[in-house]
Amino acid sequence: MAVEPNETLDCSGLSCPMPILKTKKAIDKLESGQVLKMIATDPGSKPDMEAWARKTGHELLEYQQDGDKHIFFVKKVG
Amino acid sequence: MSEKKNGKMIIMVTHGPEDPERATIPFVMGVAALASDIDVTLGFQASGVMLIRKGCAEHVFAAGFPPLKELMDAYIEEGGTMFVCGPCIQSRKIDPEQEFIEGPVVVNAATFVAECAEATNTLIY
Repeated sequence: MAVEPNETLDCSGLSCPMPILKTKKAIDKLESGQVLKMIATDPGSKPDMEAWARKTGHELLEYQQDGDKHIFFVKKVG
Repeated sequence: MSEKKNGKMIIMVTHGPEDPERATIPFVMGVAALASDIDVTLGFQASGVMLIRKGCAEHVFAAGFPPLKELMDAYIEEGGTMFVCGPCIQSRKIDPEQEFIEGPVVVNAATFVAECAEATNTLIY
């Protein structure tokens, strides 16, 4: 079943570290358990998002790649 | 600065506008660390002190990274701390009251030593 995001954040064209910073700010505005869909084109965004989720404790529910777009579904934890 | 939950990182900045890449990457790392709930102090020494003079960051661009001014604004907005080496600014005849952006604190070696000793990690650029 596809994950239904509560918010979508498009970080296409942004370079490191802005996708991570904008993701953090977007997650801060969500309620616990809500899901953020984040789209990035930075090729390093997949390992970056995995590391960021490890450090912050938010849950990376799903990852998709569509051409040069990396699409993440992150659930806010805590 | 509010206490974050994932430790503390000290990042020493020892290059100024003469080396845009080495001037920019400490801010990249600092912003990424703050976004990861890690407390960060940027420590400016040697020509790194020039970066926090008013109007300097606006002129520093490193290929592949956001402009330094954008990173500096994000770093300050996210609550990053900035310490500046006292002797380094005295030798350059910089008046911190008049010439620095708001926020940096002028310190000497013992403060840097204590900060590094208390941090979980120290990076030097």
